[in-house]
Amino acid sequence: MIYLQVLANGLVLGGLYAAIAVGFSLVWGVLNVINLLHGSFIVLGSYVAFFAYAYFGIHPFLSAGIAGAALFALGYVVQAGLVNRVIAAPVLITLILTFGLDLILNNAMLLAFSADYRKVNLAHPLGSLELGPIFLPGDRVAAMVLAFLLTALLYRVLRDSRIGRAIIAVRMDREAAALMGVDVKRINAITFGLGAFMAGAAGALLSIIYPISPLNSSLFLGKAFVVCVLGGLGSVPGAMVGGVALGLIESFGAYWLGPEHAITLSFSILLVLLFVRPSGILGKRGYE
Amino acid sequence: MRDWLLLLLLALACSLLPLAGDNYVLRLGTIVAMYAVLAQSWNFIGGLAGYPSFATAAFFGLGAYTSAVLLSYGAPTGLAWTAAGGMACLFAALIGGAILHLKGHYFAIASLAVGEVLREVVNTTPDLTGGGMGMNLPVPKLSVAAAAQTFYFSMLALAALTTAAAIIVQRSRLGFGLRCIQQNEDAANILGVNAYGYKTAAFCLSAVFAGMAGAIYASWVHYIEPPDVFDILLAVKPLVMVLLGGIGTVFGPIIGAFLLIAFEELVWRSFLTIHAAMLGGIIVVLVLFMPNGLLALVRSGLARLRPAGPKP
Amino acid sequence: MQAVRTVFAAALALGLFASTSAVRAQDVIKVGAPLPLTGALSPEGLKQQRGYNLWAETANAAGGIKVGGKPYKVEIVYVDYASNTPRAVQVAERLITEDKANFLFAPFGSGAAKAASGVSERYGIPTIAATASSREVYDQGYKFLFGTFTPNETLIDPLTEIVSKGDPAVKRVAILARNDLLTLSLANLMQAAAKAKGLEVVMMERYAIGTMDHASAITQMRGAKPDWVFATGYINDLILIRKQMADQGVSPKVLTMIAGPAYKEFTEATGPLAENVSSASWWHPAVRYKGVDLFGTTEAFNAAFEKKYNVVPDYAEASAAAAGAILQLAIEKAGTLDPAKVRDALAAMDLVTFYGPVKFGPTGQITSLEPPVFQIQGGKPVVVFPAAVKQADFIFGK
Repeated sequence: MIYLQVLANGLVLGGLYAAIAVGFSLVWGVLNVINLLHGSFIVLGSYVAFFAYAYFGIHPFLSAGIAGAALFALGYVVQAGLVNRVIAAPVLITLILTFGLDLILNNAMLLAFSADYRKVNLAHPLGSLELGPIFLPGDRVAAMVLAFLLTALLYRVLRDSRIGRAIIAVRMDREAAALMGVDVKRINAITFGLGAFMAGAAGALLSIIYPISPLNSSLFLGKAFVVCVLGGLGSVPGAMVGGVALGLIESFGAYWLGPEHAITLSFSILLVLLFVRPSGILGKRGYE
Repeated sequence: MRDWLLLLLLALACSLLPLAGDNYVLRLGTIVAMYAVLAQSWNFIGGLAGYPSFATAAFFGLGAYTSAVLLSYGAPTGLAWTAAGGMACLFAALIGGAILHLKGHYFAIASLAVGEVLREVVNTTPDLTGGGMGMNLPVPKLSVAAAAQTFYFSMLALAALTTAAAIIVQRSRLGFGLRCIQQNEDAANILGVNAYGYKTAAFCLSAVFAGMAGAIYASWVHYIEPPDVFDILLAVKPLVMVLLGGIGTVFGPIIGAFLLIAFEELVWRSFLTIHAAMLGGIIVVLVLFMPNGLLALVRSGLARLRPAGPKP
Repeated sequence: MQAVRTVFAAALALGLFASTSAVRAQDVIKVGAPLPLTGALSPEGLKQQRGYNLWAETANAAGGIKVGGKPYKVEIVYVDYASNTPRAVQVAERLITEDKANFLFAPFGSGAAKAASGVSERYGIPTIAATASSREVYDQGYKFLFGTFTPNETLIDPLTEIVSKGDPAVKRVAILARNDLLTLSLANLMQAAAKAKGLEVVMMERYAIGTMDHASAITQMRGAKPDWVFATGYINDLILIRKQMADQGVSPKVLTMIAGPAYKEFTEATGPLAENVSSASWWHPAVRYKGVDLFGTTEAFNAAFEKKYNVVPDYAEASAAAAGAILQLAIEKAGTLDPAKVRDALAAMDLVTFYGPVKFGPTGQITSLEPPVFQIQGGKPVVVFPAAVKQADFIFGK
């Protein structure tokens, strides 16, 4: 019976991890940029939700859209103004650029909001669903479902819209896309903006679950890394699979080996997977 | 010859530092020397072979803990420091076999994960390493000044040794091979460069000195904790230093180490809580406006000046 | 040649750092304070800074510190060490050698205070640690280090006493501890104390720093059916653990969490879930002492703190202010700024402050305090022990 609860824990946690990682995966897959700002974007989204709830009473599930839009704008500007300038440089350059930008953004948040942990306390908490012996935390499940809907929306946008098809074209072959008349720089900026949108929306949804502080950004970023490598890059389903896989690994790992080993286990699996299958569970082989 | 002469002059000039300064200046000097070692180390794999490694922190921490554990069992200091280098080197050879076939971001992440795993391993083996409680090392029975000088000269000697290794490698077949790998690994293989062996050698070189730096560091501060010696900044700062000084060069890493530490020290004094943002600002400016480092900027500036100036 | 010139310029610049050492002003007492103002510990760093600032401003408003009849102004030199222990050590040396600090406040927590105390010891600079409780910090044989937190077991022992006496039905204890110096030490002590009281420890697990999910540990906890859950961690960990316990319907008779519930941020973030959470800390605003220090009574200190910051002081803030007040008393007693004499005055100190009675043991750690046990009741931490300042009875859950 207890394994059912551990399984449920893992699935719910995995859903949150997927939400954390989707935007990161999109940017990495399409632009070949590891966006180290991603964790801070999520935290910024949480702050938007926190203040929206504290001052205007807007429920985080609604302010997720606001947070996403605000972060889209920020992401678009960052890519169009800064990252695009070095997009063709070796991976090290873009990596270190986003690292520097993250230092600035995180420091700014620390000054603006202080590092004190806050949390959105809903006036009407969602409680837990009891399914026989299994407890399902209502807020986590709701956040997960909403994140899943947003992700599905992103998936449709990528598949069915003109811009989405252009993004996929750029992901497949940048030069060819440019030759076909795609404005690659603009598509880059939109992609980065969409990644930031997902980060901001995820942050807003997570604001009812995790304490909010600029100090959390590196934790979110770390999870996004592992999820992406586990699931395979750049594909939306990959991030979902990777998230759920990580959630299950951590959940069962913590139960069997003790909670102190859960993080070690997830990084060890990451290393092993990189060794045997660098393209991830769903990725195609040979993709670099 | 010129490189050797420069190294000699530099080492001599630096050994005069204890005459000029107090203990705090010596501490800063020790930190610069330590980062010079780490930056040189990173340059082998990151600068020459073009593999963006974040394993420097892993090697540093592994060296620190190897030496600390040996010292706690009563090993002599010299042996413990050397063993730390050996351990880091061995570890790099093993782990290199597993991750050096990865490229680009995948290699970067794998090398980052190596450090995370090591950190957690140390955290969860309290009987050997003290775990999250940290580890105390024997305090050397020396006066304040003598201790400061001992560790300064130890770190300086290691920096000189690392630079000597860099000079040798740059001119050897290994250096040539690594540059080929950076340009085009497939072509290098076709040309008969044993890419796999070369990369592993570069990875080991980037580990051995970093491990020894960690060991000296541990003896120096005589109290280590996992979050300190596996700090991700220990992997990132050397990289920024190399970018600052000039990637793939012999003296670039040293200059970068000096400039970044000096900058940090100045910023730190003047800006209480925004030094992280200032460091971020430097990185952004560096990446966007002078990707080849300050040395290249100076050189190209000189090249532009020379033809314009009057001929003697 | 360019490189050679660069190198010499570099060496010169290093030399310049040395010569910029400030000339010590005649009528100022400089206290160096390395603090984690950024990075993981920055919430704690800001608390300490609030305490130090209140002390310095109060002292200066009263005309400064009298040393042999001459008034000196207090100047605190803050340096951020970004929550990075090696930097804290470096900062300590810089404050002593470059900024010429007369005295030092140790960096935050046990680990960093321990590492930095080696530096101040070598230079013979009296150092007061406002937030270091672990015995290991003081067992190093150092003469210049003094701490205002009693050892960790002084938090645990009264708790186990109250709980085991208060409800004999409490038999099974589950412990969940963060794998970190203070938090692990508390958990180990709790395990020993529980066994000594004849309680059964049904779970003892550690979680890694940076753990983002406690669901599995709590599932295991639920299976162990504890009457008493004892969780240690910093405030973010404890907020998450409390929330996830509620998610899985774990509601033991007694829930103890250290060290977060004393901070108002904890009750704000957990809301109704904070109710009946018990904890212990080294100080509580409800204690009542009549001190000989510049603040006087505890009430007067609370009032001064609330006037300046609009919030009730917690133990970390009070301890920081007390560190300043204690240092001031020692300087005034010594009648000189000579570090060795001030050190002796600290070692010989035996008096009462707003913070409580102050007497340091042979290791330099305070021995005279009786840390209060408290419980969140009606959204506020109320003292349940010691009897002298007790505000309410301990409430057991069902």
